[in-house]
Amino acid sequence: MSIFDGFGKKKEEKPRADFSNVQSGSSTTAPAAEAPRPPTVEPTSGTAGSEQSYTVVAGDSLSKIAKRFYGDANKWPRIHEANRAQIKNPDLIHPGQTLRIPAA
Amino acid sequence: MMRHSKTIHLSLCLVLLVVLAACKGGANNNTTTGTTGSVRVTDLTLGRSVGGDKAVTDRTDSFKPNDTIYASVATEGSAQSATLRAKWSFEDGQLVDESTQTIAPTSQARTEFHISKPNGWPAGKYKVEVFLNDMSADTKTFVVGN
Repeated sequence: MSIFDGFGKKKEEKPRADFSNVQSGSSTTAPAAEAPRPPTVEPTSGTAGSEQSYTVVAGDSLSKIAKRFYGDANKWPRIHEANRAQIKNPDLIHPGQTLRIPAA
Repeated sequence: MMRHSKTIHLSLCLVLLVVLAACKGGANNNTTTGTTGSVRVTDLTLGRSVGGDKAVTDRTDSFKPNDTIYASVATEGSAQSATLRAKWSFEDGQLVDESTQTIAPTSQARTEFHISKPNGWPAGKYKVEVFLNDMSADTKTFVVGN
């Protein structure tokens, strides 16, 4: 076998594992926290189905917000897209941030 | 005689310095908890099951593919609202799952997070990182093997 065997060959990439069907849960001995305050939803115009704004609260994620506004957590990229200027990393949003929520 | 006494003093000082350094190192090793307000994470334990007190009853860091994996987080302190988040990841950081629990602890409390996968976990190294109010508080690694 030549010492050059394999030289220049592209390293095979390990396939990504599939975690799409992971089930998770949690429970606690601590008292439940007060219900989070309702989202601050401010229509930017008077017409129904128009863009809205939403102020992020602790524990929010883009998928949670998408679920709240669109009923589907998988529609979070729509919110990310509308807020590219302030959300560089879709996994990282901060309480107090005001997001544009495009019409459903 | 004088020289001998000086040597003893120097040796004692050296021993004292070594002991002080060891103590300092030990304290650093214990600073694995996060603190936010008056609540702090004091322990993170992994296992295959938890009891009614949410403490792990079958502690391990080595799991089988069909195991349900539990992470039990102990907290101390009180707050009107604190958010615990468990972020589970695989090998090079691939996200496995992320879940949150909002609590209003009044003293010591335990919160458990668990994950399962109906068709079995891929073998390999995993990590769970616990955040308290979005600040990393503790991390544990574990393996899944056949």
